Formats: sequence, C-alpha cells, structure tokens
Amino acid sequence: MESIIYLEDVHKRFGRVHALRGVNLRIQKGEVLVIVGPSGSGKSTLLRCINQLEQCTSGKVTVDGICLDSAQNINAVRQEIGMVFQSFNLFAHLTVLDNLVLAQKVVRRRKKEESRQIALDLLKKVGIPEKAHAYPSHLSGGQQQRVAIARALAMNPRIMLFDEPTSALDPEMIKEVLDVMLALAKEGMTMVVVSHEMGFARAAANRIIFMDEGQILEEAPPDVLFTSPKHERTKLFLSKVLQS
Amino acid sequence: MFTRREPKIDDQELAHIPGAEPQNRIDVWWWLVALVAGIIIILAVAMPDPYWRIILFVRDGITITVLITVVSFIFMLFVGMLGGLGRISKNRAFNLITTLYVELVRGVPLLVQLIWWYFAFPVVIQQIGRWTGISFMATYRANAIVLAIFGFTFCYGAYMSEIFRAGIQSIPKGQMEAARSLGMSYFQAMRHVILPQAIRVILPPVGNEFISLLKDSSLVSAVALADLTRRGREFMAVNFNPIEVWTMIALLYLVMTLFSARIVNWIERRTKFER
Repeated sequence: MESIIYLEDVHKRFGRVHALRGVNLRIQKGEVLVIVGPSGSGKSTLLRCINQLEQCTSGKVTVDGICLDSAQNINAVRQEIGMVFQSFNLFAHLTVLDNLVLAQKVVRRRKKEESRQIALDLLKKVGIPEKAHAYPSHLSGGQQQRVAIARALAMNPRIMLFDEPTSALDPEMIKEVLDVMLALAKEGMTMVVVSHEMGFARAAANRIIFMDEGQILEEAPPDVLFTSPKHERTKLFLSKVLQS
Repeated sequence: MFTRREPKIDDQELAHIPGAEPQNRIDVWWWLVALVAGIIIILAVAMPDPYWRIILFVRDGITITVLITVVSFIFMLFVGMLGGLGRISKNRAFNLITTLYVELVRGVPLLVQLIWWYFAFPVVIQQIGRWTGISFMATYRANAIVLAIFGFTFCYGAYMSEIFRAGIQSIPKGQMEAARSLGMSYFQAMRHVILPQAIRVILPPVGNEFISLLKDSSLVSAVALADLTRRGREFMAVNFNPIEVWTMIALLYLVMTLFSARIVNWIERRTKFER
C-alpha cells in the first residue's frame, strides 16, 4: 500500500511549549486513523500540521507525494485535504448552499451550475437538503457540522481531517455526525480523526494512535489497543474514557 | 376530566428584547429629519428676507461641502482598508509603515494638518522642483479642493485603518482557518470570507466617521475654500445679521447629518445577519 501522508521527525514549538516532540507517522491510502490522548498531548497540533494550519518547527511533512515546504505547495495540497473543525466554522454571512459553493468557485474554478449541483447532491448525502437556503445560525450544531463535512467534501478531497468533530455537540446530535463519518469511512476515504468517540473508533478505525506529551506513545488496531494496551499511561487513559 | 388550556401568547406579555424589534417598521427618527427640513422650509417661505437669500447665497458652499465629504470618504475607505490590512499584516515593513502612519497622523490636530497641506506642502514641492530642476514641480500651484480632499483622506484614513483593523480582528479565527483549509489563498479568504463579515461589523463606526467628516469639513473654511461655513461668513460680512445666518447654517448642517445618520441606519439594518 502506498502511504499518502508521511510525517518525518516533526517538531512543533509554541514559544516555550514543545507541543510535538519528534512525530513519525505513515498513513496509508484509504486508512481510517483515530488519534486519542489526553488534552494538551498534541493531537490537534499534529492534525493541523498535516495541512499546515500550523507550520511545524522542524521535520518533514509529505502529502500525496508533495513536500510541504513552499506556500504554493501548501495551497495545492490543501485542496486535496478537507478539514472539519470542532467549532464548525461555517461562513456566517453565507447560506448553506453558498458555503458549499464558494471554494469550488474560487479555488476549483467550477461553473456556477456545476458547483451548485455538487453542493445539492452533497447536502442530500449528509441528510439536510431542505436547509440549502438557510443561514448557519439557524441550524443546530449537528446540522452545522454535517454542512461543514459537506463543504469539505465539495472540493473532492483525497484526505479528510477531523478535529474533535463531535466535542461541541449536544449528546443527541453526535450520532448524526458520526453516521456521516462512518458512511464516508465505508466509501474508502482516507481519514484522520481526533476524537474521543470510542464507539466510532471501534467501528471505523483501522488503527488507533495514543499520544501523550507530544509523542506517539502507542499504536495498534482498535481491538488490540482497547483490550491489551502496552503502556501504563494508555491503560489509565482508556480506563477513564471507556468508563463513560 | 379536564381540558388542557393552550398557552396564549400575547404580544404585550412578551418581554421586550432589545434588537428584536420587527425589521421593517419605519424608523421613527426620520420624523426628526422631516422636522428640521420643515423648519428650514418654513423659515425660507415665511421670511424670504433674509432666510431665502441666505440659502441662495450659500448654495454653492453646500455643493463644495458635499463634494469634499463624499469624495474624501470614498478615498478614505480604500486607505482604511489598506491601513487595516497593514496593521494586522505579518509583513514587517508593511506593518511598520501603516503603524507609523496611524500613530503620527492621530497625534496632529486635523486643522493643523489641513493648513499644513494647503500652505506648507506646495512650498515643499516647489523647493524640490527648484533643486532638481523639474519645472512642473517648481511652478506647482496649490489646488484648494484637491489638497483639502487629500488632507481629509490622509487624516481620516488613519482613524479608518483602526476601524478596519478592529473589524477584521473581530471575526473569529476559525473563519480564516476554514477558508485556508479549503485551499483559498490569504487574499481570497480575506476578500470572500473575512471582509464581507468585517464590513458589516464596522458599518456603524464607519457611518459615524462619515458624519463627523461632514461636520469637520467646515474646517476647510480656514484654507480659502468656499464651503458652507465660509459662504455663511461671507454673507454675514456684508449684511451683518449673525443670528439668522448662523442659525440657518446650523440647520443646513443638521439636516445633512441627520439624513446621513438615517441612511447609515437603513444600510445597517439591510445588511444585518445573525452570527
């Protein structure tokens, strides 16, 4: 299998905080990778280094064979990587439809009709075609997050990154978002997910990574990691997370 | 057996929430504009001498005042946007220049700036022209309107930069990140995502700037421009009737500022969106 994302000895410092301490990671095409770990362990930073929302201090990030070292490369690669945020970040001044159309028009230079059609199809896919002309503030959190996923998918990304997509949601809305993500995983999308949804990890993940203090402490398929974690730290963390 | 009563919602009982008023109601402050305009018309009709004469005499002054205000305002929007982008830019040089501009300009009174541009600036140009031997610079003559517009744009542009900076910074960081993660460049994200939202935020303060500019434009009467204020002074110099002249001038400014305020308010309500 070819690896689509390749991180080599990645370090990230925020001033005096050393957020990532030498991360090495290969992600295969079509793989669903879930990153877990305590808060402050560098999960989100790692994810944001993949599409360079955070520039890593040292180390090499290669996505889809393109090394992320110049601004030009970064914009090119970002088109191939969809990202979903904890706080949705829908464009507040645009309707749902225009949220999906904007980047297609500006970045992909698609025709208006074509991009609208793609947008409407995707809204159908995430289950809210009737909200096409609503503004984000009129949607529930779960609906907003599904729109955000559709917006990312409209660019036909080859990789999807999810940064705690369900952490800001009410419990009853988590499922609708996870269902969309599960469907996406079944279609063979390459996904990197930072999440504490262990149910999702068990159902969809090929591999789980446990991070602590800026390093990858342990990685294994979900059934292995959940039943027989190697490190004490992982055991402690899992016992707390799985309890709830 | 009992029937459950449907809770009745009475408009009167609902708590009054500020900002939740129906959008399309006619803005009551239009009546104030009408009142002031009415007073002007009544005065002009009931006592054509001196009021109608004053209005006729200062008419071209109104044109100058409006012209300077509107043209400067359009230019200063561009300066403000550029300055605002500079103030938040990571480019050191761009940031330094704009910050320096804002800090310096805000520290000098507007009247002094206008006088400097009108009296000192042409001499500077002439001196440079003489040293370098460029003839059109050496014979440069000050054009009062151009320099007044330039002076206002230069001064108000600095204040406008700060308004734009604050407006752009008020947009959550996630909006930029979302736009960038979709592959947009910094400028595409600014243009399609950040600025359209920031403009709605800064509309009230920008509208206020327009109104203060309208009033501050009376300062150009100090630099040989025949604006509304200056024309009033000229009329008074001949007829010596200060009460009538300055009352009428005040009313004319008032009707313009009140009218502008209503327009700003109207645009603001039209472009409102919920976050």
